[in-house]
Amino acid sequence: MGHFAAWLESTAISKTLFDISWLWPACESLHFIGLCMLIGGAGLLDLRLLGMFRGLAIRHVKALMPWAIGGFLINLTTGLLFLVMQPHLYLTSGVWWAKVAFLGVAGANALFFETRLAVPALALDPDAETSTVMKVVGGLSLFSWFAVLYCGRMLPYLGTGN
Amino acid sequence: MSFFQGLQDSAFTEWFLGSPSIWAYPTVLTLHTVGMAILVGASFVINLRVLQVSGLIPLHGLRPMYRFIWIGFAINLASGLVLFVTEAADRVLDPVFYVKLASIAAALVLVMAVKRRAIDPPASPLVASGLARSLAAASLTMWTIAIVAGRLMAYLKAK
Repeated sequence: MGHFAAWLESTAISKTLFDISWLWPACESLHFIGLCMLIGGAGLLDLRLLGMFRGLAIRHVKALMPWAIGGFLINLTTGLLFLVMQPHLYLTSGVWWAKVAFLGVAGANALFFETRLAVPALALDPDAETSTVMKVVGGLSLFSWFAVLYCGRMLPYLGTGN
Repeated sequence: MSFFQGLQDSAFTEWFLGSPSIWAYPTVLTLHTVGMAILVGASFVINLRVLQVSGLIPLHGLRPMYRFIWIGFAINLASGLVLFVTEAADRVLDPVFYVKLASIAAALVLVMAVKRRAIDPPASPLVASGLARSLAAASLTMWTIAIVAGRLMAYLKAK
C-alpha cells in the first residue's frame, strides 16, 4: 500500500489538486453536509425499522432515500478527492481501512434490505410493528454509519503512526 | 479579555490539548461531529419534507424528529463549550465563530417556526404553506452556513 500511495502522490493529478489551497476545506465542508443528508435520510428509515415513528409508513419514509444516496455520493466524491490528494494519510491507516470495512457492512446491509426486506417492509401499515429481522437491519445500519463517522473523524488521532 | 485568556491558558486546556489520550480532544471533537449529524440530519429531514422534495411523509408524523434535534443540540452545546474553553481567547476575536453561532441560532429558531406551522397541527395538510416552506428553506441555508463556518474555523485558528 505504501508503494501505491507513493505512486499516487507522485501523479500530476494528485499534486495539482493538492496545490489548490481552497479545495481541501471546501471538500471537508461538503463531506459534512453529505454526512448530515445521509444520516438524516437513512437514519429515519432505520429508526422506523427499529419500531419508532409509528404513524409513518416505511413506503413514505423511503422517499428520503434519494437524499441519503445523494449525501453518500457527495461523500464518496469528496472522499476520493481526499484520497488522491493525500494517499499516505489513508492507505497506510488501519482506521481508514476499518472505515472502508464499516462502509462495506452498511452497503451489504442496505443491499439485503433492498433485495429481501423491501417488499414486505413497504407493504406495512403506518402503525405496524416491524419484524425482528427489520429491527436488526435498522440497528445494524445506524451502527455501521456512525462507525464510519467515528473512524473518519478519529482518523487523524488513531493509527496513522504519528 | 483576560478571563478568556485565563480559560485558554488553564491547566484544563493544557491537559485537554496536550494529552495523548484519545479520550481528551479527539473524543470531544468526534462527539461534536456525532451531535451535528443528529441535529442537522434531523433538521434536514424536516426541512426537505416541508419543501415538498422528499415525498409525502405525513407532516405530523415527523414530530418525534424534534427530540433528536434537542438530543443533537445538547451533545453539541456540551462538547462545543469544552472546545470553546480551550480556544476561548482566540475564538472571542474570531468573526467566523460569531457567524457560526448566529447561523445555528437562526437555523434553530427557523426549524421551530416550521414545527409550529407545519408539523404540530394534527390535521396538517400534505402540502405545507408557502410561509412554512420559506422558513424551511431559510433553516436549510442557515445549517449549511453553520457547517461551512465551523469547518473554516479550523483553518483560521490563531497559531
